Amino acid sequence: MNPRALQQAAEWFAVLQSGQAGEAEHRAWRRWLERSAEHRQAWARVERISGQFQALSQDATARAAGRGLSGPSMGRRRMLKTLCVAGGAGVLGTLAGPACRDWMADERTAVGEVRALTLADGSQLWLNTDTALDIRVAAEGPHLILRRGELLLESAAEARIHVSARDAELAGSGARMALYQGDGESRVSLYEGALRLSLTARPGVVEEAMPGHELLFDSARLLGSGPAAAGARAWATGVLLADHLRLDDFVAQLGRYRRGYLGCDTRIAGLRVVGAYPLADTDRVLDILAGTLPIRVNRRLPWWVSLEPAAA
Amino acid sequence: MATDGVLGRHELQRFYADHHRWLHGWLRRQLGCRDNAADLAQDTFVRLLAREQDLRAIREPRAYLHAIARGLLLNHWRRRRIEQAYLEALAARPEPCAPSPERRALIIEALLEIDRLLSGLPEKARRAFLLSQLEGLTYAAIGAELGVSERMVKKYMAQAMFACLNVEPLAEGDL
Repeated sequence: MNPRALQQAAEWFAVLQSGQAGEAEHRAWRRWLERSAEHRQAWARVERISGQFQALSQDATARAAGRGLSGPSMGRRRMLKTLCVAGGAGVLGTLAGPACRDWMADERTAVGEVRALTLADGSQLWLNTDTALDIRVAAEGPHLILRRGELLLESAAEARIHVSARDAELAGSGARMALYQGDGESRVSLYEGALRLSLTARPGVVEEAMPGHELLFDSARLLGSGPAAAGARAWATGVLLADHLRLDDFVAQLGRYRRGYLGCDTRIAGLRVVGAYPLADTDRVLDILAGTLPIRVNRRLPWWVSLEPAAA
Repeated sequence: MATDGVLGRHELQRFYADHHRWLHGWLRRQLGCRDNAADLAQDTFVRLLAREQDLRAIREPRAYLHAIARGLLLNHWRRRRIEQAYLEALAARPEPCAPSPERRALIIEALLEIDRLLSGLPEKARRAFLLSQLEGLTYAAIGAELGVSERMVKKYMAQAMFACLNVEPLAEGDL
């Protein structure tokens, strides 16, 4: 990212964080923000970093431990003294209104874990394996920030949807949708309702998602679209659904739910997998596969498992 | 999935058999603990595998493993130091307090990330930033604490944020 934009963003942060910035400074900051997409991206990173500190500042023990990061010069006496100081308003609070600071949560799932949540507005949310999500409650409704992984959202009727992710901002209402953030690209599947997305690198352009369809995209462009895959949300019920899936694709998906390496020999990569498999026990899934396909499971080391042709 | 192509299965098994005992022994001497040494030895081989190196091309296998293991060891000690600071802070609380293991793990992870972000900064800039962001002190209060002007505090804040912005986002499994 442009170092000049980052430098300016850091300086604006220092100005606004002082708590003494007036109306004129806020206007100047907004003009700076509106001037270019690079400025907005730089500012988004400032907010992300500021948010990390903010989340910690709400925990008294974490604040005290954070003081240890200042090096050995801070003594125990001062540590106890500063324990009593309340956390002040951060930059997000100052700029986005007090509601933004009311509640801020980090939700994370471990590898192999799937978790269901109910949001304050009654919407249902599921987090897939190895997912990190922030939830901020604003006056208009929950704002979800997907850091990593995959979510499935069934919003309450009429409830407003606002999801920020690495590659896009998503907005809509009363929808059922899934969002997956992969290594270089993202996929949104809309099952019901209406959803608009604007790509991070092209904030002015709005794409409309169609119910029953999925869109593949990165931060700069749409990469493809098609009917939403039937199995794409089965994980929320703890099942990996394979509808004639290639074995190597199946293994790549299954690998997201376990630690260590899971490999697939190229000679069997094109075999087709059909069925519903329990995500809670991936070793059992491998054994089921070995029982139905001409393959064998080679457990070379506890953390290194390969699927190979049965006759090899 | 490239594992079969890049790493012959026999090469890795032999590599593991040849060097695992030595690596484990070295780590145990560094750590003084058998279990942690076993974990770190395994992590070292996972890293090796992730690099998808052709093992036959590594001329000094033990030097290579040593370099990976040393990085993991430094992270391990950093984590220990932060866990220790957290425990001490917990013990210093006026009222008893027992956060869930999950919450404790989250906070320690967040502290590690913050430590990483601020690690390259001069002491005063780092303290100014922490006092503002964690303690909520005003610039005037921070200036008084550090013995500098408010203008200087603002400079520290910009400097610290700029440094954080320039730290690479964490790659998977780097801690």
